[in-house]
Amino acid sequence: MTGDGPFAGDGALTGDGPETGDRPLTAPRWLDEVTLRRMVESDLVTRVALPPGDRPLVDPGAVILPGDTLLEHLRDRRIDEVDVKALEADRPLAGSRWAPVPGRRRRDRGAEGELLAPLPGRGSRWRLVTGEHRVAVSAVVGGTVVEVRPGAEIRLRVDGLALRGAFAAGAPARGRLELATDPFGDLRPGGIDVGRAGSILVVGSRIDAEALTRARAMGVHGIVVASLPGKELRDFQASERRQRAALHQLEPFGVLVLDGALRRPISTPVTTLLEHLAGREVALLVDPPALVFAAEASELPVVPADWVRVRSGPNAGAEGRLLGLAGLRRFAAGVHLEAASVAFDGEPPVDIPIGDLERLA
Amino acid sequence: MSNHTRAFVTVDRGTATTAVAIVGPVAGRLRLLGATAGPAGIPEDALLERVRRRLTDADPGLATALGLDAEGAAAGLRRLVATTAPPPQLVVIAATERVVRPLAAIAETAGWRVRTLVIDGAEILAVATALADRRVDAILAGASDPPGAHERPLIGDLGTLVASATERRPDLVTVLAGGLATPGGRTEALFRPDRPGPTVLAPSAAVGDGVPLRSLLDGLRGGEADGRRALSAATETLATVLRRRVEVVEIGCSGGARVVAGWQPGEAAEVHWASVAGAALLPRAFTDATLDAVIGWLTLPLDRLRVRDRLRELAVAPWADAAGDGAVLRLAAARAALGRLLDLTPAMDDLPAPDLLVAAGGAWQVAPGPAVALALADVVRRPGIRALGLESARLLAPLGTIEDPGERAAIVADLRDDILVPLGSVILPAGMRPGRSAGMLRVTGAGGATDIDLVPGGIELVDLAPGERAAVDLRFRDAVDVGVRARHVAAEVVGGLGGLLVDLRDVPLHLPGRLEPRRELLAAWQAASWPGMDR
Repeated sequence: MTGDGPFAGDGALTGDGPETGDRPLTAPRWLDEVTLRRMVESDLVTRVALPPGDRPLVDPGAVILPGDTLLEHLRDRRIDEVDVKALEADRPLAGSRWAPVPGRRRRDRGAEGELLAPLPGRGSRWRLVTGEHRVAVSAVVGGTVVEVRPGAEIRLRVDGLALRGAFAAGAPARGRLELATDPFGDLRPGGIDVGRAGSILVVGSRIDAEALTRARAMGVHGIVVASLPGKELRDFQASERRQRAALHQLEPFGVLVLDGALRRPISTPVTTLLEHLAGREVALLVDPPALVFAAEASELPVVPADWVRVRSGPNAGAEGRLLGLAGLRRFAAGVHLEAASVAFDGEPPVDIPIGDLERLA
Repeated sequence: MSNHTRAFVTVDRGTATTAVAIVGPVAGRLRLLGATAGPAGIPEDALLERVRRRLTDADPGLATALGLDAEGAAAGLRRLVATTAPPPQLVVIAATERVVRPLAAIAETAGWRVRTLVIDGAEILAVATALADRRVDAILAGASDPPGAHERPLIGDLGTLVASATERRPDLVTVLAGGLATPGGRTEALFRPDRPGPTVLAPSAAVGDGVPLRSLLDGLRGGEADGRRALSAATETLATVLRRRVEVVEIGCSGGARVVAGWQPGEAAEVHWASVAGAALLPRAFTDATLDAVIGWLTLPLDRLRVRDRLRELAVAPWADAAGDGAVLRLAAARAALGRLLDLTPAMDDLPAPDLLVAAGGAWQVAPGPAVALALADVVRRPGIRALGLESARLLAPLGTIEDPGERAAIVADLRDDILVPLGSVILPAGMRPGRSAGMLRVTGAGGATDIDLVPGGIELVDLAPGERAAVDLRFRDAVDVGVRARHVAAEVVGGLGGLLVDLRDVPLHLPGRLEPRRELLAAWQAASWPGMDR
């Protein structure tokens, strides 16, 4: 990935592109009519699934660091019936933990787990979710625990900034960010080897399921890509399901898709940001889809107010300068849409539907 | 909105797009001065400024008179705002499939995204996990009233599982219906009275054809200015003002609505309406059947994988890619969604056919009017003669938020010529014998008379400009169904962007099963009604 785009620069990613002289850094009011997307956001809240039986190991308000254990996941959930009468006078709540009193001879000796629901008409008998095989699930990102809902989720407000994606698949992961291709490129399966183990790879415009599964097998922790077609997504998800069912699981592996299903390059400001972050530890989150990293605000690229990217349509992926609003224009198929005039690379301006454009800030 | 002498703004906040309009007094009555729409993330004031700018350019005198000649002046106008939020998720749970089905059918038309669970034969752990899912906003647990013999052994588990879910999530809204809803009964006693979420007792699905239960469920979601609820109120007013039977079919990004408002002289308008999450342009539960339904209406030679990817893109940015192939794809998805809306509201098919059918919602807004008229005729296959309209400025929902019916009626009466874009009229006879001329149609308008041979299986388009009226005289060889069964029918029709559509195709519409001939047939029908479209 070369650094000759309009946002390239050494060190801090500031700069307003090649035509810096007259480009506004504050937006004139008419620019409000074009969708503005925040490139990064702070105070992101991520969710970690906590199905019945999984045991949370954190409390609300706890501050955690990457690698801290969040919960104990039951791999072989099953239901037992236990008598909770002897434990306490008050009726326990569903979702609370239960363990037999030590040292007693009981049929339910050894059963420990989460109370699911009382058995109807059976007095103090409860259904208990329990199992034998437990694995610790660690946080891939630091932050503060906002809420713990037994049987549902743990919510965590993450430390650092987040680059949001369109969707994600797989599992949350953490690793060293590496750039594998340029923003327009494809990553082929042959291009991934064990030298990439432990990394989160930025792979340009698209990737296929074969390359994803190979990356996972080579120990790569995650992939960041501009687009992922539905077929590749489904093939990868099927592979993930098989992988999760296996006894010996590989490291968590996630895919973050920045834009959508149709091919387009990663936008220049995002590429610039990712280039700057290369070599740093980052976290890839699935819910919500995001790449979380530690950076100062001054390290973020400054995007000129009139910079615009074509998100959809025949010019998808192109970037240019917004020159002004063009009003209602007739486009292909006789459709009338609000348009803006955009200049691409010094070419004569063209009118593009406003709905197809996005600005970044 | 106490008087009609000042301009005001309407805002329809959808999940994908926001529509704004400026309404103001012109020559003693309120008129629509301008309207526009943009992606939901665009500030409303930016959209308003766009409308104000155009008004100033088009009629500086009027803009000055209304105080709208200065930048930002529109932002200070009073606003009527309707908001449509993504539908919340409701888990409908019962002991058996037979009990859960009618409950789910009612909930689906009350604006909820529905997931059904059945205790009979299910793994308890899977049911409990589904109930604890963080995406669940409410639970509807029901039983027959009184519970049947097949349910009774399972009622205990049903009650304890739902009660346990509320112990995990005390804020969960819980509705107990039918046999579970005995006040102070065994099931209600399982729920802690001090939890923050309400436990609501509801009638069974069988009471009043499910209307009381549906009404209760509808009241549990959305805010006071819920767009779909407001659309219902405004449609009722529109029917009263127009003195017509009006049906509105709304297709939006997160759901759809069907409103039928009848009008009888001297009587209050009768309104039936349903808000259906499954009728979204792209429903959250997007299955292969959903994809097949879109492909079934598509005239583009795209393979399944490509269509799925295009639809996924549409879900990510519903306002984007609206020209060219994107417009065709969107209209195919809108047809499929309209089909789901009709399928999920079969009871409304038994009501008398409307005089005016209105397309509303963001899904219809980018296609040319005649193409929307054809789409309505393609999917709504009720025999009869009716006018077609498009609610392009999206005024209805904001107007529906006006609480005083009298004031709402006065404003709608003023705006009666502006609320709808006339798409034309459709004549849709059913029961013709295929293969030969079924009769003759004479259309007598301002430009003279036109005779058309009624050949079953095709579509005839007659130019009839917006606002123009014409007399139609239909003479069939055999009696056919045109709302009534007759051989000779005379009626008056109104023109519109699509003119007069004489739809002689099958009722219901039969299309070739194979994709290629089906596409060609759809493209041939579409060619005449979509100027600028080459396939």
